[in-house]
Amino acid sequence: MPLDASLLVQMLLGALLGLSVYLPLRAGQLSLATPGFYAIGGYTAALLSTRFPALAGDGALYPLPSLLLELVLAALIAGALALAIGGPVLKLKGIYLAIATIALVEILRVLNLNLGFTGGATGLFAIPQPFEGPVGYLLLSLAVLALVCWLCARLERLRLGRAMEAIREDELAAACMGLDTARVKLLSFLFSALVAAVAGVISAHFLNTWNARQGSFDASITTLAFVVFGGSRTWLGPVVGGLALTALPELLRPVGDLRLVVYGLVILLGPILFPQGLITPELLRRLRWPFRQTSAEAPAP
Amino acid sequence: MNQAPLSGSPLLELQALNCRFGGLRALDRVSLAVKSGEIFGLIGPNGAGKTTLFNLISGLTAASGGRILWRGQPISGLRPDRIARLGLARTFQNLRLFASMSALENVLVGLHGRGRTPLVAGLLGTAAFRRRQRELEAQAFNLLELLELAPLAQQSAGSLSYGNQRRLEIARALATGPRLLLLDEPAAGLNPAEKSELSALIRLLRQRFDLTVLIIEHHVPLMMDLCDRLAVLNFGERIALGTPELVRRDPAVIEAYLGGAVEEAS
Amino acid sequence: MDHLLQLLVNGLSSGAVYALFALGYTLVFSVLGVINFAHGAVFTLGAYFTYLLIGGAVGANGLLAGLQLPFTLPFPLALLLAGVGAAAVSLLVEAAAFRPLRRRGADPLLALISSLGAGVILVNLLQLLVGAESYAIPTSALGTLPAAVSLGGAQVRTVQLLLMAIAALVVVVLTLWLERSRGGKALQAVAEDPTTARLLGINSDRMVQLAFGVSGFLAGVAGGLVGLSVSIAGPYFGIGYGLKGLGVLVLGGLGSVPGAVLGGLIVGLAEALVPADYSGFKDAVAYAFLFAVLLLRPRGLLGRPTITKV
Ligand SMILES: Nc1ncnc2c1ncn2[C@@H]1O[C@H](COP(=O)(O)OP(=O)(O)OP(=O)(O)O)[C@@H](O)[C@H]1O
Ligand SMILES: [Mg+2]
Repeated sequence: MPLDASLLVQMLLGALLGLSVYLPLRAGQLSLATPGFYAIGGYTAALLSTRFPALAGDGALYPLPSLLLELVLAALIAGALALAIGGPVLKLKGIYLAIATIALVEILRVLNLNLGFTGGATGLFAIPQPFEGPVGYLLLSLAVLALVCWLCARLERLRLGRAMEAIREDELAAACMGLDTARVKLLSFLFSALVAAVAGVISAHFLNTWNARQGSFDASITTLAFVVFGGSRTWLGPVVGGLALTALPELLRPVGDLRLVVYGLVILLGPILFPQGLITPELLRRLRWPFRQTSAEAPAP
Repeated sequence: MNQAPLSGSPLLELQALNCRFGGLRALDRVSLAVKSGEIFGLIGPNGAGKTTLFNLISGLTAASGGRILWRGQPISGLRPDRIARLGLARTFQNLRLFASMSALENVLVGLHGRGRTPLVAGLLGTAAFRRRQRELEAQAFNLLELLELAPLAQQSAGSLSYGNQRRLEIARALATGPRLLLLDEPAAGLNPAEKSELSALIRLLRQRFDLTVLIIEHHVPLMMDLCDRLAVLNFGERIALGTPELVRRDPAVIEAYLGGAVEEAS
Repeated sequence: MDHLLQLLVNGLSSGAVYALFALGYTLVFSVLGVINFAHGAVFTLGAYFTYLLIGGAVGANGLLAGLQLPFTLPFPLALLLAGVGAAAVSLLVEAAAFRPLRRRGADPLLALISSLGAGVILVNLLQLLVGAESYAIPTSALGTLPAAVSLGGAQVRTVQLLLMAIAALVVVVLTLWLERSRGGKALQAVAEDPTTARLLGINSDRMVQLAFGVSGFLAGVAGGLVGLSVSIAGPYFGIGYGLKGLGVLVLGGLGSVPGAVLGGLIVGLAEALVPADYSGFKDAVAYAFLFAVLLLRPRGLLGRPTITKV
């Protein structure tokens, strides 16, 4: 049972990371910076909770207000970085943006690996626990995921969400319709950073230890796979992709040594068999899924 | 925003515009002025630089020289979205709709600038927000109705017929609330009946929205009939300018059109 | 001075590896407009093939534990054959991960993911077969050649010279081939404009295969040489190089052969010049360069802007 709860927590965090990649992609921006912001979140939590005894309190458990403070601080730091670099970086198009954001992730990783205060290669240990067991983490991640999903679902119905979709369809035409494309892209990049940083904070406590391996190039691509696999046209896609692909290596344990080979096979075949991803808006409409009824699908006046 | 232009001063003025692509002179010292309220036509053989001129005006391509004045103010160098918000809207010769969004959503994107509501109100779906949203949808729907697209409102733009896509482009451009509408070959691919309807439609739109129209079109009879004034481009140069009558008799125009092998409409 | 020369040689030889890597990416990118994320795995396979072909034995951990080929090839021949083997694997990757998507005209993003899947499969199969331990290709593989030569006071390892020479050779041959030969010209035609190329009767499927074959061969040879130079650190060892090669590729400008070489040399040299005290930061040099260059020149150093007609 505890093992299952742990896996569930990982899956929920995977879904959050999927959403973090999805948000810019919805505005047509292939940003792979998610693991970088995730790492920032993790280090913020790890450093605050291990280096500042005042935050840790006297009880056996790490106080929840301190956790909340970490979440806020991590979001602030990641958000500030996203706003600072987003302007110039989002001028890049397509694969250039992808590679530039991978570069960012790698630069952060190398810095974390070598700067003294991040604990070097071994990282930071004994991150205090705000919950007694995985169930607490499960509830927390579930709540955060539900909140982010709700925001994404609302966003898809809002003017901003429609602007993002228009930019994804045709950035040039969108600009000619008066959309401030730079601002919309920057906002989507900011949202992505916030979600990743929050996931990082939870993850650091959950894993009890944090090091530079947590935000690497592999993670960039895996999180992208969540979105491509699940589908990138509605928020439910990356959630399903993140849940499924995080669980897959564990579920494949019975296959033994072959499990990573099978995992690779799934990632290879996913885009070929489901080019739109598992979850598409059309599918949801057919299943009468209630949450994505964009305003435009409401009966005409 | 809605102040009338100073009497006599043009709404849009191009002064000696140049545009080079490598060695190619796509536009060569083109000057012209579009007066408020007129329908101004731009004709010329393929590759003459007509679309390039639109791209310069709408800020997609940087001019290599010259000035663009909007109500007397220079707008060269502004981003396309700024220019659009100043009241210049355009359609695209090679249809650039948001293909997988519905026709209604395409128009709603055009209305983007008018839907400003606080993000929080939107997230919470407050009553005020919902009312505003309904208003916008009604506006979008009215535009679709005007262009006879209302029954197709929920269809994805990419699935519409060619003629309907052309009209949806116009609806989307109108939604931005322009003073000047730039139409790039709106009649291309339409059948003769649709073409004559288009003329009437453009006149109607001008009257209804108090518009000025700058239109590129190859179909010369249509242009002679529709436009108050015409400019003719050939190899990037403006070779004629004036009323349709004047342009029709201009020897340089006759030469360009008879010399140019590619002219479907002459 | 000697020290500087030494750094220069070190920098140039690792730059040569990056350039070889980037050239492989660039070939595929210019025909397909997609980055092949399995490229690093193909490089790794090249290293293992070389190791086996010169008579190395598989360690105790994989399914193939103890396997040793019944023959021993001289290093140059082994390297060549490893390149051919890597090319074959690269063709397999194309057939499995790229062709089905290309047939459908799918979004290039999808091929990025499916090629990643192919890479994951290759690396983990390799681990399954030969284990995760590191293998060294002994310098004795070079036969009678000395392990290092003294050059103006700097100790230059023969492998480094080999790397630089082979990279230079590859660049010359590749450029000549692209510019002069029918096949090379056809490849460029497909890269410029696939539709027109098809109208001219060029079989674009064949050209894609050609690009994958050549790029796989280059990766395989680079893998063998790096294996000889620094040993094979396990099935994942190509990934770091692959990523850096990607940075180099974009730094130089996607689709540009001189750009790939220039990018490789810049990064190699810059890394070599990082002071020993800060060697930990070495890995960030390529990416910092890349980041800075992209902000100033969004298409890389020698990349051509794409023309979008409205
Ligand atoms: N982005 C660009 N880069 C290079 N050349 C361009 C570009 N855009 C247009 N051109 C060239 O400029 C010239 C003018 O093109 P333009 O599209 O303005 O012609 P046009 O008058 O609209 O023709 P048509 O009637 O065929 O639409 C053409 O020779 C074209 O090839
Ligand atoms: Mg044109």
